[in-house]
Amino acid sequence: MGLASVRAAPVRDWPNSKVGAVWRAFDLQLATYAALLAGLGLVMAYSNSASAGGDAFAGGSVFLRGLLWAAIALVVFVVATAFDYHWLQTFSWPLYLAQLGLLVVTLGIGSGVGGSSRWVSILGLQFQFSEIAKILMIVVLANYLGARKGRLDSLWSILGACILVGPPLLLVLLQPDLGTSLVFAAILAGMLFMSGASLRWLAVLAGVALASMPFIWTYVLRDYQRGRLTAFLDPLGDLQGAGYQLWQAQIAVGSGGWFGKGLTNGTQNALDFLPVQNTDFVFAILAEELGYIGAIVVVGLFVALIWRILAAAWGSRDPFGTMFGCGLAAMILFQLVVNVGMVIGIMPITGIPLPFVTHGGASLISLAGGLGILESIRIRQGRAEW
Amino acid sequence: MTTLSGTAGAPNQDARPLLRFVAFGMVVVLASSLLLVRLFTLQVSSSAEYAALADANRTVLQALPSTRGLVYDRSGNPLVTNVASYSVKIRPADLPDSRRDAVIAALAALVGKDPADINVAIDSNPGSRYDLVRVASDVDPSVADFIAESGQDLPGVEVDVETQRKYVLGPLFSQILGYTGPINASELEQLGDQGYLPDDLIGRAGVESVYESQLRGSYGLETVERDASGRKLQVLTTNREPVPGDSLVLSIDTRIQQLAQKALMWGMQRAHLKRGGFIVMNPSTGEILAMVSLPTYDDNLFQQGISTKDYQAYLNNPGKPLLNTLTADQYPPGSTFKMITAIAALADKRLTPETRLHTAGYLTLGGARFVDWNGRGFGMCNLTCGFEHSSDTYFYQAAARVGIDRLAYWAHQFGLGAPTGIDLPTEASGIIPSNQWKMETLGEPIYPGDVYHAGIGQGYDAVTPLQLLNAYAAVIDGGTLHAPRLVHDILGPDGSIVQPFEPTVIRKINVDPNILRIMRMNTRQVVLSGHTWNLRDLPIVVGGKTGTAEYGIPDAQGRLPYHEWFVGYVPKNPWKTASDPGGLKAMARTDSNLAFIAFTYEANTVGNVSTEICKYFLQLYFGIKHDYRMPALLDKGNFYRD
Repeated sequence: MGLASVRAAPVRDWPNSKVGAVWRAFDLQLATYAALLAGLGLVMAYSNSASAGGDAFAGGSVFLRGLLWAAIALVVFVVATAFDYHWLQTFSWPLYLAQLGLLVVTLGIGSGVGGSSRWVSILGLQFQFSEIAKILMIVVLANYLGARKGRLDSLWSILGACILVGPPLLLVLLQPDLGTSLVFAAILAGMLFMSGASLRWLAVLAGVALASMPFIWTYVLRDYQRGRLTAFLDPLGDLQGAGYQLWQAQIAVGSGGWFGKGLTNGTQNALDFLPVQNTDFVFAILAEELGYIGAIVVVGLFVALIWRILAAAWGSRDPFGTMFGCGLAAMILFQLVVNVGMVIGIMPITGIPLPFVTHGGASLISLAGGLGILESIRIRQGRAEW
Repeated sequence: MTTLSGTAGAPNQDARPLLRFVAFGMVVVLASSLLLVRLFTLQVSSSAEYAALADANRTVLQALPSTRGLVYDRSGNPLVTNVASYSVKIRPADLPDSRRDAVIAALAALVGKDPADINVAIDSNPGSRYDLVRVASDVDPSVADFIAESGQDLPGVEVDVETQRKYVLGPLFSQILGYTGPINASELEQLGDQGYLPDDLIGRAGVESVYESQLRGSYGLETVERDASGRKLQVLTTNREPVPGDSLVLSIDTRIQQLAQKALMWGMQRAHLKRGGFIVMNPSTGEILAMVSLPTYDDNLFQQGISTKDYQAYLNNPGKPLLNTLTADQYPPGSTFKMITAIAALADKRLTPETRLHTAGYLTLGGARFVDWNGRGFGMCNLTCGFEHSSDTYFYQAAARVGIDRLAYWAHQFGLGAPTGIDLPTEASGIIPSNQWKMETLGEPIYPGDVYHAGIGQGYDAVTPLQLLNAYAAVIDGGTLHAPRLVHDILGPDGSIVQPFEPTVIRKINVDPNILRIMRMNTRQVVLSGHTWNLRDLPIVVGGKTGTAEYGIPDAQGRLPYHEWFVGYVPKNPWKTASDPGGLKAMARTDSNLAFIAFTYEANTVGNVSTEICKYFLQLYFGIKHDYRMPALLDKGNFYRD
């Protein structure tokens, strides 16, 4: 199976055969799947801009902004690939502080819808620092867990990881951005599980989390959040409110059929029946216009991507690399399931973007950075023995 | 998974628990399978259902209004045209309650209406909150543009291009044409399945109302694509093409209508009258050539959505401009009814034309006096004498001989006491008393005095001016009672005649034509005797009968107010000839195509103002240069004052 290729050839003569070895170690499949997903996102952005009656190439259109972000993301990817990821371990604690700093800045000067503060405007472009914080969280956790190999049976190690995640999670929850804070929790859970932490303690932890749900429901969540979380159970019961979005999304997806209505032909898209169709609900429009076939392609690309990420994690010779890959895989899987699940009515509305496809600069750039780090991990495995 | 284990042996194998990787991989496969299964049920299994929902989301059936038919006069001149105009409408569902007052105030200022009128229009909207309500019609294009571009400031307000009725000659034809106005809730409930829309217009009054279904045509239907905010984007399919309405050709001759209005206006002004009416008719077909009821209203005002102020002014006008005096209200016919009494007596052989009765100042009946109008009587009188002088005592005796029920029978034969069936809405039926009628209505039998009064068209008798003219038309025509008609032909959308005019015969009256011939000649004797002053001197042959009908409550001197009537006609080729200087030979014929009636409400003039009006009309109609009118007779004053 392809997994056999996961293992990078030991690069003993690194300086001499550097270019060739690097190229061999570089996972082209990983980059290709990510590029295809990002490309689909751009296609949907084009469709959305064009069918809204506007010129997709007009200045400031979703499509043009998407192109711009994709270009920046490519640069970030290349830089991250070239950068030696070992330095990340060195700078783990400063990065953690930087992550907290970004989130505090967002709370302080950020703007958002209805009194929330989720993004910061830089040069006229809106930027969500919490997206970058997610990658930084993975770095910090990978460093923490990687450094504690073999000691993860201890409750204190597990609690230490939880304490690390606590402050950024709370800062994001204060924005308020329930979705992103859930992603933090998912990253934590995924990485703890993959680190080999004691299943017993993990089960206890999960039990505590479940037990605290009623408390969180009553005292932490706001009314609109509760409404959004329960609307998916009966979207028709609240058609004037949160249910409207879900119902229109299901109509969009369902009316797509096998092959979809064709790009720019989605009526739910073009006629604005589906709000925020180019951000969190982009998958609904994709399923409407490209049909079940398109949906299979998207889900398939994600599965392939996660497989390549896991393969890279497996191939890493140092625990940091393994943990980093696992964190990235957990994040992408969680976002995929929750976002698509939300669109098709089996998950509550939480405002989590679909990785690569949803338009949003910070998300794409963070993911490009994450994948770049992963490539960096792959091509630098030989150095451990060098 | 063997390949995975195959890679074992790497230095950090402890950090890569194989089972956890396998478990993670299974979660990935499981989760993505779950998503794909759910997507399959949505997109493949239930696809048709959701596709239908998506279509229902974006499409809406919309009526395609048909072009309303036009109305022409008998020579083909348009009396109503359709002009494109801007109307302003509100969709109440899109107008937030919190901003309603401000939006309506701003809108009212823009279209120049009272905010209260706009509120009334919205609150009396027959449709749902999602249906458009018309709040202003015929809006100035620049104002319409401004409103159309002020979407944010005027939420729920839309500008629509509609065709609007323009009544070319305005008040001259208002009573005949009527107008169109917004449909109300009860009409919508009745007519909704005929394609009427909540913001639809419907014919009100006049032929616009009676011929509503023909004029309207039938609305088409189209499927329109709309976006989430309800904005119409494009027509997807036309399910049914609209069929334009038919057009009407009236029997009215605009020239005669204008002359009739001019004559009536002159008489009413001269005698200071509040109400009056004039009808010209072709007695051999029932075609109405002119019909003027004054005062009248301007149907164009209604077309633009009449303001409360204007409407109140119409309602408060004592002349009742919204009422067609000639068809919708009934009055005692007075002496004009003597025609019926005479025919009844002759037909039932209670009198012969030669039978002479003694006419005196009064008859006594059970201690009560029944006076003749001149207070002296006319001595021994035959029918011609009694009719030409309009002797009341002659006709008291004639009526007594006929009896009330036979008198009622003959009145009904000539169409009195029943709607004529003219193509106008709301026609009064009139009252012709009989034993049965009085028992049913008042619980009393007819007394002999009632019979006397009935014989001269007083007492309980009430007719509409149109009924009376139509009864005379049957006499003039030789015994055929027609239903009067305003609409001559109905034209299809392509201008071809789809329903040509055909006289509507109510009945052939079973009466000896000779009796009618005698009565026609007697109408000429009325003129020749000088009873109608100098109609005699006109160079044309005119026959007719006056009426002075008392009604209401006596004044301080015991005098009753009264309406005045003149109903007359001219034979074909009415110009006097040497061979027939009196015109009696012409009157014997049944070829007249011009009969007319003038009715003046509460006239109280010394000279019969209705006769003067007819005289003026004939002068205008026949281009008679010499003015035979005697306006001095019309100075206000009571007939009985001397």
